[in-house]
Amino acid sequence: MLEEPLIQAAGFRNVGPDAARTGFQLRVRSPYYRGLWGSLIEKPTVTVDGEEFDGDGIRWTLPTGEYSFAELQESVDARWPMDAPAVLTVPKAGGLAPGIHDVTLELRLRMSYIPEELQPSIWTATRKVVIVK
Amino acid sequence: MSTQDLPFGLGVSLYSYTEDIGVTMTVEECIEDVADLGATGLEILGEGHIADYPNPSTAWIDAWFARNERLGLTPTLYGSWIDTRRFPGRGLTAAEGAAQLELDLRLASRLGFSFVRPKIGVITGDLQVDPIWQEAVERNLELAGDLGIVICPEIHWPTVIKSPVVEEYLEFKERTGTTQFGLLIDTGVFDVQRYQRRGGSASFRMGDGTARPPEVPFVPIADLAEVMEHTVYFQAKFYEVDDDLTDHYIPWRKILDVALDAGYTGWFSSEYEGHHEPYRAADQLRRQHALLRSLAAERG
Repeated sequence: MLEEPLIQAAGFRNVGPDAARTGFQLRVRSPYYRGLWGSLIEKPTVTVDGEEFDGDGIRWTLPTGEYSFAELQESVDARWPMDAPAVLTVPKAGGLAPGIHDVTLELRLRMSYIPEELQPSIWTATRKVVIVK
Repeated sequence: MSTQDLPFGLGVSLYSYTEDIGVTMTVEECIEDVADLGATGLEILGEGHIADYPNPSTAWIDAWFARNERLGLTPTLYGSWIDTRRFPGRGLTAAEGAAQLELDLRLASRLGFSFVRPKIGVITGDLQVDPIWQEAVERNLELAGDLGIVICPEIHWPTVIKSPVVEEYLEFKERTGTTQFGLLIDTGVFDVQRYQRRGGSASFRMGDGTARPPEVPFVPIADLAEVMEHTVYFQAKFYEVDDDLTDHYIPWRKILDVALDAGYTGWFSSEYEGHHEPYRAADQLRRQHALLRSLAAERG
């Protein structure tokens, strides 16, 4: 089971060796009522304590595999199921300092059955989450 | 298709549990709840509720059939999508649309469904559907016949019954002469007042621009009578039934009167779409079914 907030407390962590962090990870619950093809995911934005990270550099780990954003756009079988979290890996030399961070995620999904001028569908979630170490 | 003591079938769409699935309940627990509340029809979203879609394991499929048999549930409708903007920068071709629909028809058939609702992409602000739809569906009519499945696009507000989209669907049905195609009516088109949904795990907006959804009036119930001969399924969309067992938003008595007087004996499949909050669907579905059953009883 996942937490109700889109940004999960679990899975928010630094990645890379202790002495040379390369970035951090964010675990995200899908806000959508179905699973979807990975190519329907548009470029997200992650903001931590006011520092914005562009979606082009964010890697996606889904149950079907791990993808750069460009690979996700070109994918034909990547899927994000509604009840499985996506793990977003964000590059940041040195990682995040241990402690509490204000994290905002802008998630953008493209829905073909809604007029294009009203797309993409955009969810903005904000949560204080903790880097333990 | 029947529910004991009713002149129609009562079902539930697992869409109703969207705020619970994966958070407070598993898909399997939702199915148990559908049976517990006394429904006999089970509607799912293929891409939402099938583990490892589009390739569920045989263990998952075996468990699906065993559970439905134990619970007395009949698979009704399988919701699918033809994502015409699936690939960035280009539209889906008719062949790709047909392949997606074929995939879903075959999977729906493996799971015992008799209706498939493809949600088709649109190309205009007034929701004209992508013209690839006709070829995508037509290529699959023979397969649908072989599988015993009726393909039924959904008439869902702001698409209303008297609209160019519905005319296009009915012209297709007449041109092809098929019996494997009909209309699904979402009862949200008959809203008598707008419902303001609260909740949700994040703020939500549609697009980066200033565009707003079109202002489309809701549908007079008389329009339903005119399309009943083409209607094969009802999604019993609702938002809230209050503590007096009254629905102030959807005119159920009128809907049942028109449908049943026209001889409809098919499914009413509940789709709870009220506040975005966990723990509401199970209670609201029971309220709605109690209401629908009482109205049916009053009709005698």
